Amino acid sequence: METTRAILVDITKCIGCRSCEQACKQIHGFPMDTEAKLSSTALTVVEEHGDRFVRRMCMHCEDPACASACLVGALKKTAAGPVTYDGSKCIGCRYCLVACPFSVPRYQWTKLVPYVTKCDMCAARQAKGQLPACVEACPVQASISGSREEILEEAQRRILNDSKYVKHIYGSDEAGGTSVFFISDVAFEKLGFVAAPKQAMPVLTANALGDGPTVILVGGALLSGLYWITQRRTQVALAEAREKSEKEGR
Amino acid sequence: MTATEKIATQETATAKSVIAFPRISFWRTIVALIFAAGIYSMYARFALGLKASTNLTDPQPWGLWVGLGTLCGVGLSAGGFAIAAAVYILGLERYRPILRTAVLISFLGYCTVCVGMLYELGLPWRIWHPIVMWNRHSVLFEVSWCVMLYTTVLALEFSPALLEKLPWVRVREAYLRWHHSILIALVLAGTLLSSMHQSFLGGLYLITKGKLDPLWYTPYLTTLFYLSAIPAGLAVTIMAIYLCMRSLNVRVDFSILSDVSRVISPLLAIYGVFRAVDLINRGATQYLWMWRREETQLFWLEIVLLVLAPIVLLSKEKVRKTPQYLYWTCAVIVMGFMTNRLNVSITGLQASSAMYYTPKWTEFAASLATITAAAVAFRYAVIYLDILPKNSQPRRGLASHAPVHA
Repeated sequence: METTRAILVDITKCIGCRSCEQACKQIHGFPMDTEAKLSSTALTVVEEHGDRFVRRMCMHCEDPACASACLVGALKKTAAGPVTYDGSKCIGCRYCLVACPFSVPRYQWTKLVPYVTKCDMCAARQAKGQLPACVEACPVQASISGSREEILEEAQRRILNDSKYVKHIYGSDEAGGTSVFFISDVAFEKLGFVAAPKQAMPVLTANALGDGPTVILVGGALLSGLYWITQRRTQVALAEAREKSEKEGR
Repeated sequence: MTATEKIATQETATAKSVIAFPRISFWRTIVALIFAAGIYSMYARFALGLKASTNLTDPQPWGLWVGLGTLCGVGLSAGGFAIAAAVYILGLERYRPILRTAVLISFLGYCTVCVGMLYELGLPWRIWHPIVMWNRHSVLFEVSWCVMLYTTVLALEFSPALLEKLPWVRVREAYLRWHHSILIALVLAGTLLSSMHQSFLGGLYLITKGKLDPLWYTPYLTTLFYLSAIPAGLAVTIMAIYLCMRSLNVRVDFSILSDVSRVISPLLAIYGVFRAVDLINRGATQYLWMWRREETQLFWLEIVLLVLAPIVLLSKEKVRKTPQYLYWTCAVIVMGFMTNRLNVSITGLQASSAMYYTPKWTEFAASLATITAAAVAFRYAVIYLDILPKNSQPRRGLASHAPVHA
């Protein structure tokens, strides 16, 4: 089986040099100016929260809300880990932006032919055996990548062996589990992390969608039944009227 | 002057001012202004882009065009399937006289939704993609199919009104015979599709758990959207027919509308009770009294307009029996309904997006122009087609223009 790739960001190690941002912009050919928030030309940014630096990027959920929301299947969770976007399918409905529990995808609002943009964990580079550009650029290994199992084990090892860490791996259960993990020595909610639901998001809509066929079958049967009763009543009323008029006629 | 006389003079005045073709009247001026603004918005949207024509941002990617154009547009078009089901499936022949009007409103409503979709989508020329690119895990996928299929069903349901005007007898007769044979299938399919569509629009927001305010987020969003759409759709039907009676010289037995309104309050009550039980079950009642929150204020506005005020008003016989009172009561329901849909799509997501979204004027103008176009189309359909029976004695001011079908 192909291994699922993942990234671990250790907030205690980040020095805020923004090499990851720069590397990301470089391989995508974006303008190199530093941006404060994720944008369609900044797929990862280093945010400052107090004296900590927090890198933001797509979390690459195991069961992504965006991929379940996308009506044309432009967004996909690949077997290799990254959640990728196929712009040639996209119709620009922006439901992925609404659905993402981490509010990551960005839209090219200023363009006349706008697309969704988000980090794809350098899927093409990883397929060639290279590291994601941001990970490769990190001078202090604050971001590391590897197979999801290895990465989770490493994160576990670090937070268990060092008491400074918060005893939670952000991403281990958020939105049902992700492929990008954060560990920190400051509470996550103080660093701008959202308290995402601890369940796979597509489950939320699966139930409603699952009801569809039932609604059609039961509803169809019910309506047909009602229609039959209505028809029957009309026929009976008609027959009675006829009988009555025949009797009177006699 | 008695009340009826007053209405009659008003009616004549409105009819006069609106109908005379070349004259510049108040309403014509308003419509022209709306269209002018609409044309500029169209230019802004398609030639300048979303940034220039909307105030949408990444944290608030869906705004007025989804909240008003789609959610309200579809919801307020629910009258068609409700009346069609009542007449054909439940055999409530009493409502047959208003059936065509209800179906026409729904059809035009769905047309506005489809046009609105072209504004809303970033890449509108790919609107056909869902036909060939399927993702059955997506609520929006189901919604898009419901729109496509139900718009087709509505067009077919309404088609006789147009095609019966064909001058070629044999084509006409053949079509009408075919239509008659598939009608009940259409009504059945329409009822199911429309029910699913109404529910799935609520279902769109199921995935926003953690983002949508607890006053609105519930696993039962689907049921709530469905339950609220029917009374709101009926209210729109009543409003439209009342306006036709006032200004288009049509003859409708008002007691039919009164009877429709008698159905509305129990439906609203069921919705209200469902909503209350759901809020209590989810333990969200604490949010009900946080008056400082804008969410709470708008929640109560919605409840008062959509549930409390209409139930109180409709409980009074005088309101149900007086056309003008009934019209305004229905207007309150529609406002409440719109507040609800805008709350789900905008207010409820404001806090989590940390962004205060107010639509740009071009967003309002585009929506308003689309709705106005539908209203104008409705008006001419009622004038030129046999949608509602006309008074055989045309009133003064109408005589020169409206064809009379005796």
